[in-house]
Amino acid sequence: MIFNQIFDMVNLGLVILDKEYRVYKWNRWMELHSGIEAEKITGQPVFDFFPNLNNPSFLRNCKSVFTFGNFSFFSQKLHKYFFPFKTETLIGSTFEYMQQSCTMGPLRDADNNIQYIFLSVQDVTEIVAYEKQLFMLSVKDGLTGIYNRRYFERRLKEEFERHLRYRRPLSLIILDIDFFKKINDKFGHQCGDFILKEISRTISNNLRKIDILARYGGEEFCCLILEAQLPSALIIAERLRKTVAESQFNFKGTLIKSSISLGVSSVQNEINSSEALLKKADVALYKAKENGRNRVES
Amino acid sequence: MKADHSSALSTEQKEILQEVMNIAFGKASADLADIIDIYVALSVPNILIMPASKVKNYIENEVKDYGIIDIVKQQYWGEFKGIAFLIFSSGAGKKLISLFQKNENLSFDSEPIDAMEKETLVEVGNILIGACVGKLAELLGDILTYSPPVAMIEQKPADSISKNTFDLNCTAIILKTVFRFENEDVCGNLFLTTSNKSIHWLKKALNKILDEYE
Repeated sequence: MIFNQIFDMVNLGLVILDKEYRVYKWNRWMELHSGIEAEKITGQPVFDFFPNLNNPSFLRNCKSVFTFGNFSFFSQKLHKYFFPFKTETLIGSTFEYMQQSCTMGPLRDADNNIQYIFLSVQDVTEIVAYEKQLFMLSVKDGLTGIYNRRYFERRLKEEFERHLRYRRPLSLIILDIDFFKKINDKFGHQCGDFILKEISRTISNNLRKIDILARYGGEEFCCLILEAQLPSALIIAERLRKTVAESQFNFKGTLIKSSISLGVSSVQNEINSSEALLKKADVALYKAKENGRNRVES
Repeated sequence: MKADHSSALSTEQKEILQEVMNIAFGKASADLADIIDIYVALSVPNILIMPASKVKNYIENEVKDYGIIDIVKQQYWGEFKGIAFLIFSSGAGKKLISLFQKNENLSFDSEPIDAMEKETLVEVGNILIGACVGKLAELLGDILTYSPPVAMIEQKPADSISKNTFDLNCTAIILKTVFRFENEDVCGNLFLTTSNKSIHWLKKALNKILDEYE
């Protein structure tokens, strides 16, 4: 009696499934967030209402719990959610569905045989939204809004490891704003900051969504070009160079022209580390500077 | 008074525990393959009894050849209670991502690899520990509850197990097995540690099995 009341009163979704994945119990929290009444779903296969659950990971874990009696824990990080429930809009959050942390465990009969499994569903949307905000603060450059050096270095290492595992192509572009000191000296640091932001925006607009653009140093930027070999990366680099060279940046009524020099490298046999990839692009950038700036070298 | 660790289990009890573990791990391995399509070979398990104060050094020494390790820890509670440690050489989690997330629609772009790796290790650890400990408990007539597993990647063995993990005045029973994921170049060690708080119950459970044999 008391336990039945708790089942409906806890601020937690509770679902009990039988061995055929039919819903045996569906608590009030689940009714509230799904809009599906217990009466309607009880006795029905859960996949009829939530086809997204019919996936290898969910089935593997259900079978494991039925067989071994262990618990399975589904973190929000990997699974996002089990049940696609609408969530109230939180400031700064873009989640379409409630983010959930779920647990699955065995329920036994009087003879200790596992007849059912339970699922508990916890709403962690708010925590994840804050986590996401903190994450963005830690990986973005405060001035330009693009990624910072720390994030870039981490992704470079990860993408290089992915290349080693799957042999996927990977390229890197390092670029530097030509004569940036002169802009600062002539128009002031406010104008220098403006140029940094404008050039970041211009480059960002000319890259694909999957590429990773970061401010590497003062006026130096890095782009990690995923799934691209050297010829494609050179085309992208040339497009960036041309776009910046043809742009005019309007700082408080003054039109300023600028240019960038770019060094490009791609993973090849002799490159055996992410550091080597970066070094090769850096050497190419130096060459571009030496050869007169506003150019691409590899 | 100094505890007599060697007498924690009699030779006969140790032998029957060894046999129970062989059966449990054999069943776990077969069920993992039959039901979940995970092919894991588990070696014949070893049983060691030692002061709890030596467990940390023992585990560190057993995995020293790995250098840097990935580790999954999970507590289990019942009459039989303790901590399971699943230890791989570093990088195993990355290899297991492809094994465990095969054909599943996961976004590689949205999560960094180390997060994917950690979550994969948590799932692998949960299933592997659950299978081995669960089958062992089942044969011994116990029902267990588990804590969420904790995975740590790229750890030095010395940093991965805290000194405070074990009650230093206790005697520990360590059950060790080596496992290998077939078709994947991934292997590691599973250590189940339990303290003498479970020994009284364990002895009773083993004696019961002995009586049934006789």
